[in-house]
Amino acid sequence: MDRLADVVSLPARRAASTLAAGARSTFDNVVDSSLHMVDDWGRDPDFVARVWSMSRLRWNVAVNGHRRLPKRAGALIVVSARRFALAPVFAALSIGGAVGRPVRFVGRPDIAPIGPVMQRLGGLLPRADEIAGALRAGQLVVMGADATMHPRAVGHIDHRLVGAAVAAGAKVFPAATASAPFLRSARVEIGSEVRADRGRRGPLAELELADALESAIQRLLDELGGPVTGTPLDWLPLSGMGAG
Amino acid sequence: MAVVGQRVLISGMGGEIGSRVASLLENEPWVESLEGIDGDPPRRRLRRAVYHRIVPGDHDRIVDVVTRFDPHVLIHLAVWEPHSRANPDRARLLTDDAATSILGAAAECRSLESIVVRSGIEIYGRSRGSVTRPDESARIDPTSGFGKMLAGIESTATTIGERIGVAVGALRFAPVIGPHVPSPLGRYLRMSAVPFSALADPPFAVVQEIDVAAAFVAAARLRLAEPINVVAPGAITAFHAIRRGRRLPVPLLGPDWAIARGLSYLAGAPIPDHVLELMHRGRLADGGRAMEVLGVAPTNTTSEVIDKLYSWPSVVHTPARVAVA
Repeated sequence: MDRLADVVSLPARRAASTLAAGARSTFDNVVDSSLHMVDDWGRDPDFVARVWSMSRLRWNVAVNGHRRLPKRAGALIVVSARRFALAPVFAALSIGGAVGRPVRFVGRPDIAPIGPVMQRLGGLLPRADEIAGALRAGQLVVMGADATMHPRAVGHIDHRLVGAAVAAGAKVFPAATASAPFLRSARVEIGSEVRADRGRRGPLAELELADALESAIQRLLDELGGPVTGTPLDWLPLSGMGAG
Repeated sequence: MAVVGQRVLISGMGGEIGSRVASLLENEPWVESLEGIDGDPPRRRLRRAVYHRIVPGDHDRIVDVVTRFDPHVLIHLAVWEPHSRANPDRARLLTDDAATSILGAAAECRSLESIVVRSGIEIYGRSRGSVTRPDESARIDPTSGFGKMLAGIESTATTIGERIGVAVGALRFAPVIGPHVPSPLGRYLRMSAVPFSALADPPFAVVQEIDVAAAFVAAARLRLAEPINVVAPGAITAFHAIRRGRRLPVPLLGPDWAIARGLSYLAGAPIPDHVLELMHRGRLADGGRAMEVLGVAPTNTTSEVIDKLYSWPSVVHTPARVAVA
């Protein structure tokens, strides 16, 4: 009878057990003794673990394609971003959780207190030399395209920042992010490596690589499809599949 | 591999780092003779090295000693970090005097082949928006008095090197900490109650003096001809350091730093501007090339050095062997 009760469980009970497990995990991480150290870039693994635990109370992120990423070498992952969604931050945390190694993101400001907090999470300044330094040191770096209001559109990609990967000789991967504002589900889909044209010797290589990344991310976003808000609003021609 | 029979001159041999470098060089087979200059005698027993007690401003004696010795390699360690052993004005004066006299005298030596100068990652500065972890190719833009002093030494040495055609290498160290190194940062962190920036608390790296000495020996042996960052792996924030040392953290927000500086001064741990900058803006650098170029890299991580900082005894009490009263 006990077994039957476990199988036939009400949605409310499932939700309660999920919440309880999340809260326990968060509590364990928060009260756990800190190592009191940060890495070479100022990323605090304890702080990241706590933020990641807390963010999982809100989001249930599925990461796909992370096996394409190099095991040890550096790589740049360019993700689509929605305005105010902090997509590079959550993508970095999610991918870090999936691959089991630190993942940094580009875009922290250099002003206290926001800048130092983001540095603890693995934030890098949006400078090509900073990104190149991290890639040369074998780090995984997530960079966002320009944020857009439309969840299925990719914004402009700064070719100067992408050029850091070209300079460092690191691989570049496109990735699409999607989340439903009123549900817990979110997704990061990492595509195949996009290569710079080896025939180019000048800055055109970076420009063309940025364009190729935009196209690749747009393809990934188109393939993701599905609901946007998790409500009947998705059937209106304001966003999602109905939008032009 | 260095050619045997080399003469090596160390300026600043009396300091903890200078004494340690001299001690290591005494065991190097390529070093034929070793001489040093400083205002204070060496802090450890040296068997082969010859020490000359000369103050930095005694230009004539320095020129006489240096030109008579005619070194192949000059290791310039005569750098006074502000508030380490001298106040900032005095430190700047002593450093300038030493750089002018010793580097100038070395330029007159016909056998000179290499100059290695002590520098620091303060040379990169921490202006807003500057790269978090500068490598050796980053722009030199010092934003503290000590950083400007170091930039001046590198500039002087490079100019002399280009003029007389000798290799000039610079070792840019993270803040140096050691049991006998007069470090304003170390002194500050060892106070019972330590103020830190509550809004920023940025990360910084340090390096231990034994790793510094090993880097100098390697640079001298290899005739280093470029700048190299020497930074212990890892980083730490002031709050983390305070917690590791079981000190009382005192969070500060901004204007109260002026009071904290005054109190810290009275407590015997004055805070120079480059340490204040470290507490507000952090101090990291990419030390990845040290192993590639020098063949040595710091073995003690930043966290280990900080742990050792708190384990070194303040005062060693040695009881009298014979009771006299």
